[in-house]
Amino acid sequence: MTEEPTSNQDLGLDGDLLAYVDGTLAPEKMAEIEARLARDPEARAATASWRHHDNLIRQMAQAADDLPVNMRIAALERDLVAKLQARKRRAFLIGPALGRIAASVLIFAAGWGAHSLYGSATQMAGGAYPQFVAATLTGHQVIQQASLQQAEFLPEQLDEALDWMSAQMQRKIDSPKLERLGYQVETARLISADTGPIAIFHFRDAQGKRVTVSITPHAPGQSDYKLRVVRLDKDSMAYWTDSDLDYSIIGEVDVGQITTLAAAVRE
Amino acid sequence: MSLKTEVTQHTASLRRYALVLTRDATAADDLVQETLLKAIDKADTWQPGTNLRPWLFRIMHNTHISDLRRAKTRSDAAPDLPDPVVPDHQHTRLELKQVLQALDQLPDAQRKPIILIALREMSYAEAARSLDVPLGTFMSRLGRGREALRQIVSGIGKGKLSVLKRKGSL
Repeated sequence: MTEEPTSNQDLGLDGDLLAYVDGTLAPEKMAEIEARLARDPEARAATASWRHHDNLIRQMAQAADDLPVNMRIAALERDLVAKLQARKRRAFLIGPALGRIAASVLIFAAGWGAHSLYGSATQMAGGAYPQFVAATLTGHQVIQQASLQQAEFLPEQLDEALDWMSAQMQRKIDSPKLERLGYQVETARLISADTGPIAIFHFRDAQGKRVTVSITPHAPGQSDYKLRVVRLDKDSMAYWTDSDLDYSIIGEVDVGQITTLAAAVRE
Repeated sequence: MSLKTEVTQHTASLRRYALVLTRDATAADDLVQETLLKAIDKADTWQPGTNLRPWLFRIMHNTHISDLRRAKTRSDAAPDLPDPVVPDHQHTRLELKQVLQALDQLPDAQRKPIILIALREMSYAEAARSLDVPLGTFMSRLGRGREALRQIVSGIGKGKLSVLKRKGSL
């Protein structure tokens, strides 16, 4: 075979040669590079040297595996594991950044299609509705105060979510039971609002229709709310107080269906 | 893989890398300890779900750069290796010494990519992340560094090997 030495080329900038030496070359390029190396002595010498030097360096590095166990390193390793596990737990609980919280609240407030709902909610904030209902529906009020604990949980984390929410609210929180009506929980969140912590559960049925349930501790000294059902443009809403907790439920359903859903939550 | 297993594996990698960087077992363990201490302190900067290895190596790089004492150790060093692991063959030992001497002549920006990739424990992208440089920059430094290393070793080798040949050692 005729050798074709390449001169004046910067072999080190040839990504294919680097990948060849490091075993990361795409299989379809392998034959092409091997053919090139067969006719290019300079590239052949370069790749052989790179590989040889790598082997020597790696051999030296592996000597570390035979060094005596270092007890101080072992202790630090344990401390690091503990810190990283704590970090993971915290990230799991606090997880969403403010932006995600903002987005989630807006999903709640506006995700029903609903500039109209948002408008209704804003109007309600200063109206005759309970503050916890207005705070839940009026996204900006919640966002502005969402600087305390917030968390978001997936369906498979629901048990853990309920434990944590119960601890935060110092009351036992149960998951709304809407499954028998064809709704599956999508996420559970805890946000901090003017009125205190609010647990929000998002559900969706097979047709994609969404229902949201919020639960928050009932403000001390205030009278309980009797069940009230309200029609809001495309959506319906119900709210009430039960066992020191205020509930609200809103969905893309009519008044009859929201009453049925509210009854399921109250069970 | 549990977090504990992962950290144990990464600590072993850090120790290997530190040994090549420092050429001294005690200095290597000091560097690993310092790295772990900083990692404990900075645990909140780790994003769960992301690869721990580049994060730990980045801390080691920053620790190493800021530690002037270790720079002195490296410049003074000859290989200090446990005998059973380092090849007994005189030629290989000489070659290793030449490569390490040549590595010392390279700028840090080229030396570290070469060592990181030689260890075969990180992808190009992870190694680039651990050095906080874009992948393209990393590849360029790796390639240029390898070529520079080859040229330096070739220059060193011609002189020393010819002496050995004259003495009939090879």
